[in-house]
Amino acid sequence: MIRAPLLVILALVPGALSGQDNTADLLDRAAKYHADLDVERELVLLRQVISPNSPFVVTHDQRVQAYKYLGAALVVLGRTDSGIVYLRAALERDPFVDLEPQKFTPAELAAFAKAKRLTFGLGVRPIPFDTIDPRTERIPFTVLSTHTMALQVEVRTAGAPAGVMLFRGENDGPRELQWDGVMPDGRLAGSGRYELLLLGNSRLTQRADSVRLYFSIEQDHPPLEDTVPALGPRDLLPEQQPRSAARAGLLKGLGVGAAALLISQVLANSELEGGGGKLAAGVAVTASVAGVVAFVHGRRHREIPANVTANAQRQTARASSNTAIVQRNRERLAEAHLIIAPAAGVGP
Amino acid sequence: MRALVILWLAVPQLLTGQAPWQVSMQVGRAEHRVRDAGNLFPATGTVFGAAVGADINHQFTVSAEALGGRFTADTATSIDDHSIAQVLVLGGMKVRPWLTVQAGPVFRNISNTVARQQWTALRVGGEAYLPLGLEGVRGVLRGYWMPLVSVSGLPRPDVALAASAGVEWRGPRIGVGTRYVLERYDFPENAADRRIEEVSVLQAWVSAFWSKP
Repeated sequence: MIRAPLLVILALVPGALSGQDNTADLLDRAAKYHADLDVERELVLLRQVISPNSPFVVTHDQRVQAYKYLGAALVVLGRTDSGIVYLRAALERDPFVDLEPQKFTPAELAAFAKAKRLTFGLGVRPIPFDTIDPRTERIPFTVLSTHTMALQVEVRTAGAPAGVMLFRGENDGPRELQWDGVMPDGRLAGSGRYELLLLGNSRLTQRADSVRLYFSIEQDHPPLEDTVPALGPRDLLPEQQPRSAARAGLLKGLGVGAAALLISQVLANSELEGGGGKLAAGVAVTASVAGVVAFVHGRRHREIPANVTANAQRQTARASSNTAIVQRNRERLAEAHLIIAPAAGVGP
Repeated sequence: MRALVILWLAVPQLLTGQAPWQVSMQVGRAEHRVRDAGNLFPATGTVFGAAVGADINHQFTVSAEALGGRFTADTATSIDDHSIAQVLVLGGMKVRPWLTVQAGPVFRNISNTVARQQWTALRVGGEAYLPLGLEGVRGVLRGYWMPLVSVSGLPRPDVALAASAGVEWRGPRIGVGTRYVLERYDFPENAADRRIEEVSVLQAWVSAFWSKP
């Protein structure tokens, strides 16, 4: 039961594959006819390629190629205006399309130049996967305008209002740009999503347009150390005595005084008619006074200086540890490589 | 035996000067009361002393104290005037930050113009600290039982206790304090009479502390 659909799929796959091969084959044959100036046959093949009823799969690049040859063929046939329309269609789909001077006639090149003047197009080549060392290498971008225009090229963190300006000025045709991976704040671009934004203003048509190319950057560096977390209540000593401490100090002082009297009265043998009661009273008074002073002082000064100092030392130690960690992390980040990859998303 | 073990543990650190040291000078007013054969013999005097102590690893303590003074009978001058000299050695172990158990021997010599009496005792007890909330100020309570007491010319006492209560301030380098000390000795009955002795002292002391940085 399972084998039947499988056989059907297997039977269809060669057909689909041959469809793709046929489009490419048609384009190759059309290009050969063009070189031989057999434009009538060429047109038949190219119209077959761009026809909505084409039974074959036509990729975007193949369609651009077909429009390019179709436009050129029509120019050869003297139908320059129609040829320019197709050439513009090719340029609108891919501003990077070009006519090679060794393959096309001056008339075709002139028509293509006119098509470029009439077509307002901005383009940027896709960014390939790459890894660069920003200390010695740069991230390359190729941008293009179909004719003279005021061009502005900027790299931004995706969604950010501003970024690094790579180019600003008049541009006509392709332009190679490079970015060292450094953001406006002077730091290396962090891991995340970025966009290359092209803003163009045509000097010929006075139209404006923009193109965005999204890409991602991943920093590749040795593992970073975690900083010491902020000290919490469990990490710090209490800096103030509880309110009950003053009362406890008073009670302890009175207790020590009472203990002295108790020793002289209870532990001493009553048969000796003494026990040093007066001597004990001296300590009792001293301890009681100490307790009262502790009570008064405790009510007025609840802070614990030793703990305040100890906590300050702990905070200082944490801060110095974090400073060292941050420094080490910076050194590791400075050695980072940037892994660049195309990202999903297209701009206007 | 325990004190000896503690002392033995303390020796290396004490010799190398790694333990915090404390040296004290003491002065006190003392009463020595004796009831014997139905008569009471009170005497008072001033005692002077010195003590040295060390704290080992914040867990063990060892101290030695020498004390002495001349006691005058409260009645007319008589042969009851006497001198007391005493040496006390105590080893201790802190079982809590505020509590130290201690043990050690006491050697006391009581002499007058005609006789000399030798006392030897073993003290077992403890010392408790009660911080009063003022920086460095604390109350100190001590209590000792003397299970082994030997007095020349007298039988072993049935009751031999010592206790003290005091308050002290301890700064980073020096400290001062005062304490009341009472020692009680009840000897066994002999011919329907019982000899009782008691020493009570009000002491003031000043200490200096230092340790190897």
